[in-house]
This record gives sequence, structure tokens and C-alpha cells, in this order.
Amino acid sequence: MEAVKSIDLVKVYHSKENVEALKNVNLSINKGELYTLLGPNGAGKTTFLRIVSTQLLLTKGEAYVLGYDVTMQPEEVRKHIAVVPQDVATYGNFTPWEYCYYFSLLRGIPKRDVKEKAENALKAVELWDLRNRPCATLSGGEKRRAIIASVLSSDADVLMLDEPTSGLDAVARRNVWSVLRDMVEQGKTIVLTTHIMEEAEIVSDRLAIIHKGIVIAQGAPDQIKGLAKEKFRVVVEGNLKSLGLSENDNHTVKFGSKHIIYVKNEDEAIDLVGKALKKGLRAETAPLTLEDVFVKLVGGETD
Amino acid sequence: MNLKMLKDTLIITALKSIPDLKRQPLMIFLIGLISSLPLYFIVVFGGQISYGLIGAMVSTVSFIGMSAAIQDVTWDRYVKIREMIIAMPVHPLSYALGIALAPLMLSLPSLFFFGAVATMLGALTISSLLWATLALILCWATVSSIGFLISTYLQKSSPYTINSISNILGIALGFIPPVYYPEEMLGSFSWISAIFPTSNTASLIRVYSGSLSLPLEMVIARWVILIITTAVFAAITAAKAKWRES
Repeated sequence: MEAVKSIDLVKVYHSKENVEALKNVNLSINKGELYTLLGPNGAGKTTFLRIVSTQLLLTKGEAYVLGYDVTMQPEEVRKHIAVVPQDVATYGNFTPWEYCYYFSLLRGIPKRDVKEKAENALKAVELWDLRNRPCATLSGGEKRRAIIASVLSSDADVLMLDEPTSGLDAVARRNVWSVLRDMVEQGKTIVLTTHIMEEAEIVSDRLAIIHKGIVIAQGAPDQIKGLAKEKFRVVVEGNLKSLGLSENDNHTVKFGSKHIIYVKNEDEAIDLVGKALKKGLRAETAPLTLEDVFVKLVGGETD
Repeated sequence: MNLKMLKDTLIITALKSIPDLKRQPLMIFLIGLISSLPLYFIVVFGGQISYGLIGAMVSTVSFIGMSAAIQDVTWDRYVKIREMIIAMPVHPLSYALGIALAPLMLSLPSLFFFGAVATMLGALTISSLLWATLALILCWATVSSIGFLISTYLQKSSPYTINSISNILGIALGFIPPVYYPEEMLGSFSWISAIFPTSNTASLIRVYSGSLSLPLEMVIARWVILIITTAVFAAITAAKAKWRES
């Protein structure tokens, strides 16, 4: 049985103009995997998470969490999930300890176990020493970690995290990813959204790219990267004309004086780097990243 | 309401009151201070302090009920704590009751203080305390229901706008109708007192403490109005409020 499953899921926001946020989304997330939803802003990632976390009603289709129907059995679903919403903030008077303690009690964890779980969660996100500090006195990253700790201490089988690391510095982000991977090793399922492609590529077991409400790709990071025609990128600093290339080429992206040129294989990449160096330009090559593929996919250029 | 719902209500009440109480204990004095401000003018201008004390008790529960139902719900939405709670095995009624009860807990010291002084000054009798408590609970429930109803219609407004609306309504309900002053002052319009849950409550308390004389059928009618108002607003709120967005 899948941890999360959606079948032809449709969500339409009814307002002056009906906005179709999800269009026949079919996703299947296995138990015990870390699954990432990628997509540009407004792609439908948050809408999907809000539906499967029973906060938002779907318009058409079906969605299940651990076999429970999110529309008909929300109470059962809620016993097994914990959520970190997008752009979540904290109450200034609450401490990280209070977040963990009270939220665990609300999730029905027996009082005798709550303290131990709260302690473990706060230590995992390195907030134990700050556990009794009101959130008003914590930094943005510490506040976010307090919220994440409240979810980690929940004992939930499926954690749904909407951009959990947004606003965190690099060290704090790595701590969070490490904790999440540990949770997956313990058998938890994690569904999250993020804009940080490099990290998504490393930590995700599988991922889906959603664009304008449609799942345009899903699979393991390597499978997704395999969808692009080009397999290597060459970064050249300087004038491309000397290499006989155009800045307006479909395979070229310009960043100030630097250009990323996408090529099909390693030989082509090495050849291009050699040519650039001979012309006195700075150049380097590397395999395609998930971000490269993401940009190409949401730009509509795939096989 | 089952045991789990009751337990969750108490947890939410604790969550929404204990941290505030620990870190901002002055809040307790502030709650009492707002309601006791009119007492200063009553004393200065030679009014009856006994009326003012009952008014202070009523406006305390009214202000607290309105502010909890409108402001707390809105801030919960703003910081997204509400979204986190929706995704927990918590019944919406537990959440609503917990939210409404939390500030009531913070206002208890003020209520006890006003009640004690009113009893000492003879504005309340020991025998009338039970009726006064019952009327205050109904007043709190009505105003909270009105507040919850308003907050369901103002979901898109900013917390700052809602803050202002809540304060205006709280002041309007607590200070304009005959809450701090006897309804007889309105002359032939004294029936207006029965319309507002706040002034209706104040008048009922005065009836039981002997400072207002109303025929028995009128007293019963006042209780019925208070109960029906509570039930109607609670029912409309329950029908309109959505735990899960559509």
C-alpha cells in the first residue's frame, strides 16, 4: 500500500476566474521514502500537500493517505500525519519546548512519552539549549526549526513539509535534511516541497516536477535528469562569438558575462572547454544538474 | 462531547493561555484595567459604583469573548498554527472552545476582583452569585459566537483590520448599551437593554442582586432571549464555519 496516492486529482479554485490548480494529478508515494515535489511558484505543489493533509477539499478525483480516503475519512488520515505549512510563523510567547509539548499532546501521544519525544526532536534540530527561549527572541531559522521539531516529535507516519528549509542558512538546512533522512531510515514517509534543487537531488528518493497543475515528470533524481537531451553543461566566461556560438542559441543560457552551454555528451563538453581555453576564455564542465533539467522541463524543452 | 474532545479543549486552552501568562503576566492587569476605566468616570461624576462594578464584570467577559473569537482565530490563521491543528486529530469544537476559554482564564482574576468588591459593597449578594455566574457564562458564549461568526466572514482581511473591528465591537457592546449604567436611564427605551447580550446580562445580575426590579415574566423573557441569542449565533457559526477549506 502506498503512503500517499492520488488518482486523477483535480482542484479548481472558484473565484471570479476559475483557476485549475491541479489537473488530473496521479502520484504514488511509497511508504518509507522521501518524496519531493518540485515546481515553479504557483505550480500546484502546496495545493496538493494541502489536499492530502486534509486542509483543502479536492474538486475531482481521489486521494488517499495510508489507504484512507482524504475526503471521506479525514479523521483517520489526521491520526497518521503531521504538517509544516508554507510560510509558517511562530507565536512570540511560545517556546520551542511548548510547541513540541502541546502539539504532541494534541496528537494523542501519552503524557509519559511526550517529554522524551520533545527532547529527542529538539536535540535533533539543535534547539535543546534554546528550548525555553520565547520564539520572539529566536532567529528566523531557529523559529523554523522549532516548528520542524514539533512535527518530528509527533510520532506521525507521514510528514508533509511545505518548503521546510526556506529561510534557513546552509548549516541549519543540512541539519534538517539530515534529520529528515534519519526519519526515513526509521520508516517514516516524508513528502515535501522545496526550491533548493541541489539538496532535493541529494536527499530525495524520488521526486515529481509539477508545472501549471500537471505532473510533467516523476521518478528518481537520475531518471529525471535522464529526460533531458543534453547530459553535460559547459560554463564559459567571455564572448561566445569567438567560439562560433550565439547567445540566443536554445542550448545557451546567459548569466552576465557567463554562459551555460548544454551539450549532449562528455566528449562534446571536453571539446568545447578545450576550444574556449585556446581562445583565452575561462571554461569548465560538469554533468547536468537537476536544476538544469528542471529549468528545461518547465520551459517545455524535453525529449 | 467525548473525553478526547474535552482533553483537547483543555490542551488548547493551556497552549493559548499558559505561555502568555508566563511571559506577559501584566496582561491580567491590562484586561481588568480596560473594563475598570469607566469606573473612574462613574466615581468622578457621582454615579453608582455598584452599577459600574457589575458593568465591569460583564464588559470583561464580553471584551474577552469578542477578542478571542475574532483576533485569536485570525492570528492563528496568520501564523498558520490553525493549519497545523486542522491536520491533527482534533475536533473543530475543541479548537473553538479552547480558543475562547484561554483568554477567559486570563480574565478570571479580574472577574474575581470585581465580584469580590461588588459583594463587599452590596452590589452582589452571595445568593445572586450563582445567577450572576450563569448569566456571565451565557454572555461570554453569545459574544464569542458572534465573534466566531464575524471571523468566518472576514477570513481574507488582514489581522490588523480585524484587530480594529474586534476592539470597536468589544467597546460598542461593553460601553454603549446600559452595562455600566442602569437601564432605567433610557426611560421608555429601556427595552433596548434586552437586545444586547451585555446589557441583558448586566440587568439580569442586577435583578438577582436586588438593584433592578422586573416582573417575573420579564425576567424569564430576558433569560430566554439570552439563551436563544447564544443558540442562534452558535448554530449559524457552526453552519457557516469551515474547518476544511473548499
